[in-house]
Amino acid sequence: MSCERARHLFDAYWDDELTQAEREWLEAHFASCTPCHGAYEALARTLELVGGLPRFEVTSGFAERTLARARRAGAEPDRVSARAPRWIPVTAAAAAALLAVLGATVLQWGGMPRPGGRSPGSVVSETIRQPVLVGPAPVARSADAARGTSSTAGMGDGAVAVVPDSIFDHSEDVEFILDPFTLRKGRAHTRISSPQDAPRGQQATITF
Amino acid sequence: MTPDRESVPLAVVRLSDEDLMGKVAEEDERAFTELVRRFQGRVINLVSRILNDRDVSEDLAQEVFVRVYVHRRNYRRGSKFSTWLFTIAANLAKNEIRRRVRRRNWFSLDALQEVVGDSAIQLADPKEGQDVSLQRTQLQEAVGRAIAVVPEKYRIALVLRDIEGFAYEEIGQMLGIPGGTVRSRINRARGILKRKLQPLSRKEGL
Repeated sequence: MSCERARHLFDAYWDDELTQAEREWLEAHFASCTPCHGAYEALARTLELVGGLPRFEVTSGFAERTLARARRAGAEPDRVSARAPRWIPVTAAAAAALLAVLGATVLQWGGMPRPGGRSPGSVVSETIRQPVLVGPAPVARSADAARGTSSTAGMGDGAVAVVPDSIFDHSEDVEFILDPFTLRKGRAHTRISSPQDAPRGQQATITF
Repeated sequence: MTPDRESVPLAVVRLSDEDLMGKVAEEDERAFTELVRRFQGRVINLVSRILNDRDVSEDLAQEVFVRVYVHRRNYRRGSKFSTWLFTIAANLAKNEIRRRVRRRNWFSLDALQEVVGDSAIQLADPKEGQDVSLQRTQLQEAVGRAIAVVPEKYRIALVLRDIEGFAYEEIGQMLGIPGGTVRSRINRARGILKRKLQPLSRKEGL
């Protein structure tokens, strides 16, 4: 038991971290226990060899060469910080949402009349409602708006941008919706809604 | 930038490591060069002893300082510069060991053990009249190879403690491990080395 305790103290004895009482106890143990004393001497010789290894020489001009290399590295973009920052998805989603709103606004305010549509002169007298961003968007919902039905009744929770429009006939339009809610990695693709969902117009959701 | 030390202003030379690093963060290249000069020997020695490869150690040591420069704005003022520097050095040395293992371009454990064993035999029976300095050189090379046999996580702690002389607490900060784990690793490393070098030290009468 005392040998086990002694060997447990070897490292601290070498590192000079023992209390006075511990040191005195260990030295007294060494005096009476040749194996423990020999084991400690072997450890001490080993660590003397390790600690006595020569220091490597530094070649001349090391600091200047290092500075030159650091300058070159400093001029390059920092690969660590450039690696997929976490704010990118948030920014991308915000940008996509902004695009969706702007796109809807442009559709409403800047849409060109179609042949067979309503008279352009009526644009001035019409009160045009602003698009309302409601939530995640099933594809076919704005078909009602395209038909001129401004009510949102029965649309459920999923409509994106309701653009009631009584000015132009968009029955032949294809509406592109940038859908930020399904933003995820992968190839961009275009999905065209089924004819039942959009009997008079077509709607495409672009998901990234 | 200043190519020789004589042209470094005294004010820079007298600054603490931490103040110098603060100046490096403000794009002061003279401060950076001064820091390199202060620590180049220790960094080269550390990576050389961890890798037991002098040839690549200078390149790796340069990379350590380049990381310091590139990430100069990440240095937290108030923290000890040497701890930060040797954390980078230890990490790069660790990466280098693992890279070599992956590339299988490194001594296998068995091969190293054989080399160390051969050295022990050779040193145990020195030829009559063999140059004492040659014997010492061989002994040091054998010690270096024996250190290289110690498993990586124990070896790095051992070199930081028994060659570079860092405190346990500081080593814990560098390696991101508790002080008790540092002690345990160093204890294991010393035990392995002792077993490896015991025949050498006994025959050499050290």
